Amino acid sequence: SAPVEPHITECTSRNQETFRCWWSPGNFHNLSSPGTLRLFYLKKVMPTSEWKECPEYIYSNRECFFDMNHTSIWIPYCLQLRSQNLTYFNEDDCFTVENIVHPDPPVSLNWTLLEISPSGLSYDVMVNWEPPPSADVETGWMRIEYEIQYRERNSTNWEALEIQPQTQQTIYGLHIGEEYEVHIRCRMQAFTKFGEFSDSIFIQVTEIASKESTFPLTLVVLFGIVGILILIMLIVVSQQHRLMLILLPPVPAPKIKGIDPELLKKGKLDELNFILSGGGMGGLPTYAQDFYQAEPWVEFIEVEAEDADTGEKKDNQGTDTQRLLSQRISRHINIGFPDDDSGRSSCYNPDLPDQDTLMLMATLLPGQPEDREASFNAVERAPTPERGERPLVQTQTEGPQTWVNTDFYAQVSNVMPSGGVVLSPGQQLRIQESTLATEEKTQKREIKHKWSEDIEDNNQKELQFQLLVVDPEGSGYTTESIARQINTRPSSPVPGEGYQTIHPQPVETKPGATAEDNQSPYILPDSPQPQFFAPVADYTVVQEVDSQHSLLLNPPPRQSPPPCPPQHQLKAIPAMPVGYITPDLLGNLSP
Amino acid sequence: MPGNIKSVSFVVLVCLLLCSRLTSVGAAPICTNAQTGCHVLSLSNLFDRVIQHSARMHGISNDLHSEFEQYFLPSRNQVGRVSRNCHTSTILTPNGKENAQRMAREELTEVILKLLVAWRDPLWHFHHSMAHYDDFNNFSSNKALEMSDMVHELRKGVEKVAEKMQGLGITSNTVNSLTSPEALLPSKSAEWRQMKDYDLLYCFRRDSNKVQNYLKILKCRIVPEHGC
Repeated sequence: SAPVEPHITECTSRNQETFRCWWSPGNFHNLSSPGTLRLFYLKKVMPTSEWKECPEYIYSNRECFFDMNHTSIWIPYCLQLRSQNLTYFNEDDCFTVENIVHPDPPVSLNWTLLEISPSGLSYDVMVNWEPPPSADVETGWMRIEYEIQYRERNSTNWEALEIQPQTQQTIYGLHIGEEYEVHIRCRMQAFTKFGEFSDSIFIQVTEIASKESTFPLTLVVLFGIVGILILIMLIVVSQQHRLMLILLPPVPAPKIKGIDPELLKKGKLDELNFILSGGGMGGLPTYAQDFYQAEPWVEFIEVEAEDADTGEKKDNQGTDTQRLLSQRISRHINIGFPDDDSGRSSCYNPDLPDQDTLMLMATLLPGQPEDREASFNAVERAPTPERGERPLVQTQTEGPQTWVNTDFYAQVSNVMPSGGVVLSPGQQLRIQESTLATEEKTQKREIKHKWSEDIEDNNQKELQFQLLVVDPEGSGYTTESIARQINTRPSSPVPGEGYQTIHPQPVETKPGATAEDNQSPYILPDSPQPQFFAPVADYTVVQEVDSQHSLLLNPPPRQSPPPCPPQHQLKAIPAMPVGYITPDLLGNLSP
Repeated sequence: MPGNIKSVSFVVLVCLLLCSRLTSVGAAPICTNAQTGCHVLSLSNLFDRVIQHSARMHGISNDLHSEFEQYFLPSRNQVGRVSRNCHTSTILTPNGKENAQRMAREELTEVILKLLVAWRDPLWHFHHSMAHYDDFNNFSSNKALEMSDMVHELRKGVEKVAEKMQGLGITSNTVNSLTSPEALLPSKSAEWRQMKDYDLLYCFRRDSNKVQNYLKILKCRIVPEHGC
């Protein structure tokens, strides 16, 4: 290795008033004896600076001590070692005294217990000490800051607290039963060099067995919970309604404005119907005013009562639909929405084309003409207005109408060349053919309007609603003859959507002269439709499909045998589902 | 008329009170610590404030100096290269505790003031030259500005202390302490322009430590305290 020449090992000051330096001869053992190496120092004081020898040697330590007379602060010192003929000098050995101060460790380190945590597991300790006696802190010549370090007895890592200039500090969070070792050191403020550590002291606090403080707390909590439970039980048992309302608020019951909620309970439907039909009380609106005026939050199903003078309401027995759709009640079933927004947002979607749907619904039902007139007024938006509509509608005003046995769904009875659909009610309504026809027409008009609008909207896309051709007599569903028409009909642009329109060619085949021959969509009210009064079942069941994929409907026994061409051979096709024909099945019926 | 007289007398009373207060504000009563209602600071308080100020100034200078060392000068010990002289080397300063304690109070005060005056321009210049150092962040630049301000304020504070000492008769009424600052500047005051920034910081760190120690010794000598 390279020869290590004599050098200065360290210079330090303890009190910023004196300092001392140590040297080492290095590998030059011949220079290790005292006196062979001499130390010289240089104070860079203006104007002259010269090398002087060490004022005080301590050869046993190879130390040079500079007393107060030879110590100057803020002045650079440089040291060099000289042997007999050589000078060993290193520029790194220059310093100023204030930068080499390592204060002595503080003295009189002791601790006091501050407090123990409520859990009894940790405690805080206040440690205090005295500044090192060698440091002149009273005059302020040295301003010292301290650093405490502590660790558990058998640990190797020291925890260091914040450096601060006070002579006391608190250690937080020591654990009961553990032994801790604490020591301290210090340095000058705004300088970097710490002095030595002091001797360690040991802190230990043994466990204190006192858990009484937690005991009453748990008891109190327990009793509190039990008390509250008992109180709730008492309230429930004693049936104090006010309190029960607070604790267990009731679920709101259904209410209809103007109707005693008692009737809405189970088993009182007759009375409800009586009231709904306006019996005996002169109409519902007055009734409604008496009840529930003070409850705006109740959402009512408002049923307007009109035309209370016509009788025949007793005929409406049998089905709920009949009751609901009895003549007493206008076809406008208004879902009455009060102007306030009670519950509106939950039930009512204002974005729906309510007008359209309502009108559609109204016209689909066997309703009163005056309503339809109003509805048509609303719907009349098509650019192809049918002017003659209204006068024809108004012809329908007369005549009582009993839409008995009318189910909610109407049947398509005819399809007009222009694409409209004629709806008809069920079988018993043959009596009212005149009104029926008008109704069909108006219904068809309604539908046609609807569809024409749609068609116009969609620009003649494939959304051409096409319906099954229906028996122009008004029977709901396709009979065999019509089915044959389906087969023999030339292919029309079938987009595969649902239904096919088949122009009602069967003007020749059908005895009934409906209005198909004239292109106008009107059906004369005096068409000989009443001939065919044979009641037709509302729904017809497809029983068989013959070899040509005609639909063979099982006609009801009341129906007169249709004057139609002799039937083809029927070939029972196995495993045809009994029921209604669906569009996809219809697709199989290609000729 | 009686209402008018009452209102007028009331106004007169209020005016008298206010006027008496106004006239009393202008005076600067000389009071000792014991007097109540006296808001003039005692000499001890003044010293404490000034010493606190100087301690902070020294701390900032130390921080800046170590940052400079870290960035620009990797070698550990630059003391040996302090062959340069600080521009304040011409100011005769006591180099030890005993020397400072033996020095006259007026002289010590004057030394302090000289040191502070001498650093006013170099620090201001240093703060502006800090912008050239890209490595220095804004934090260090703020420190330089703060340092420059503190020298200025500390000088004013020490002047006030000197004024008060003279007012209290502690120091003799020497004219030197209150001469214009330019007279206190060292003869070679322009030397600092040739110093590099690092040397400037090193010198100022040393000088701020001097100022702090001198102030402490001065206080201990003038305001008797425990241990002084």
